[in-house]
Amino acid sequence: MANGVGDIVRFENVGMRYRLGAEVLHDVSFSLPAGSFHFLTGPSGAGKSSLMRLMYLAHRPSRGMISMFGRDVSTVPRTELAALRRRIGVVFQEFRLIDHLSALDNVALPLRIAGAKEDQIRDHVAELLRWVGLDGQIDAKPTTLSGGEQQRVAIARAVIARPQLMLADEPTGNVDGDIAIRLMYLLEELNKIGTTVVVATHNEALIERFRHPCFHIEGGTLTGPGVKPGEVES
Amino acid sequence: MIGRVSDVPLSDDPASRYLPWTVGLLVFLATLAFAAGMFLSSAGDTWRQSLSGTLTIQIPAALSANTSAAAAEEHRAQVSAAAELLRATPGIVSARRIPDAEIAAMLEPWLGKQVLGLDLPMPELIDAIVASDAGIDLSALSTRLAEVAPGALVDDHAVWLRRLTDFAGVAETVSFAVMIVILISAVATVIVTTRTGLAIHSDVVEVLHLIGAQDSYVARQFQVHTLRLATIGAVAGFAFGAGVVFLAQTYGGRLSGGLLLDLALGPLQWALLFVLPVVAILLVVVTVGITVMRVLGKMM
Repeated sequence: MANGVGDIVRFENVGMRYRLGAEVLHDVSFSLPAGSFHFLTGPSGAGKSSLMRLMYLAHRPSRGMISMFGRDVSTVPRTELAALRRRIGVVFQEFRLIDHLSALDNVALPLRIAGAKEDQIRDHVAELLRWVGLDGQIDAKPTTLSGGEQQRVAIARAVIARPQLMLADEPTGNVDGDIAIRLMYLLEELNKIGTTVVVATHNEALIERFRHPCFHIEGGTLTGPGVKPGEVES
Repeated sequence: MIGRVSDVPLSDDPASRYLPWTVGLLVFLATLAFAAGMFLSSAGDTWRQSLSGTLTIQIPAALSANTSAAAAEEHRAQVSAAAELLRATPGIVSARRIPDAEIAAMLEPWLGKQVLGLDLPMPELIDAIVASDAGIDLSALSTRLAEVAPGALVDDHAVWLRRLTDFAGVAETVSFAVMIVILISAVATVIVTTRTGLAIHSDVVEVLHLIGAQDSYVARQFQVHTLRLATIGAVAGFAFGAGVVFLAQTYGGRLSGGLLLDLALGPLQWALLFVLPVVAILLVVVTVGITVMRVLGKMM
């Protein structure tokens, strides 16, 4: 297992269960070096989303140790978790846009939460929405956007605050091939400027085309031939 | 945050739709309870001031249509002697016989305007003002009065005053307790409404959290929304409550036909009353903040 000082994420023997239910992740151990790009694959129900939830700090492990940005999450005070989360950009599986807010306000959320000034927010967000091809939809509500457009808003929201870690949970699940490829190029661009990226996906064509290290999860355990020794181990 | 759309869609929230009405009703009731408490507090002070430092000497009636002129003359002499004795007593500032017309006026609410024509055996009353630092021996004074006016009773109003002030004190305490209970009800209502709002919008709240929002950021959204609704309710409830208090102050004395003391709040009491809606709004907003922070504190 890689154990470098520059690891953005490090899991050691992590187990996870929801409330008092059965364990959904067992003895998961891996680390992600800063600036790496990984795919996370596995069948439905294998634990991909649970693993992602642990990484974007939505859930606590039932055992084991998780280190994010060099800090043991279990020792981070609750008030400082928000600051850790602001270093993570997440594209949720169902996008999770806020329906009553415009595309601009949805994308602006991370900046507002971080306390950015309003006069700087609009220009910055508008520019990013132009970059993802939504310059004509700035004031549109998510419910009036297509799946692909919603996805681009979700991506813009995830990248607007320039996160150090980018997590995308099945980001290409609801869009056609061209948009999926365009999204992957976008994530690669982010990766080139230093963002660590993890993409959970079923899409074998994408994995084949973009050829990044891949780890596989099945039955709650990280396994599979796609794991590259030294970068990702179980 | 004010001036732009809230991140949490609270304006569409059915749970908070009735908040202005609830806060308005509770502030209305709290205003009345608080005003009643202050009325009673003032009344107690007025009663204490008006009755302490006075003595009333009651000389039983001896006059009626069948009383002889000599007996009537003797009775009047007894009353005059009693008044003179009082005036000569150290510590008594003044003593005056209360005229029949004044006694009739006091009895008018119960017996009507023709009291004097009813030929009732009304006692003679002497009102004595006692110096504030005088330590008068009431027992000795009673004995000496009985010598010049047999059957004379000295009333220092102690029993009446104690009962009256006890009653005023209890009523005042009850009024303030009712006000506190009403404010606690407001707090309980707001807690339930806020928890319901958090449950309804848990998905949005979780997204905000995962994007990096502090609990205080989410709490502020709820607080700003509640501040607006609570202000509408509190201002309306207070306006109605203060209106009722003003009407009671203006017309209460007249309507009670003199049976009650005039209801009146002083400038300081009105100022305190005006503070009530502000306190209610602050209480509601602080409650919302604490509730949100406590609920979110249980999340990761």
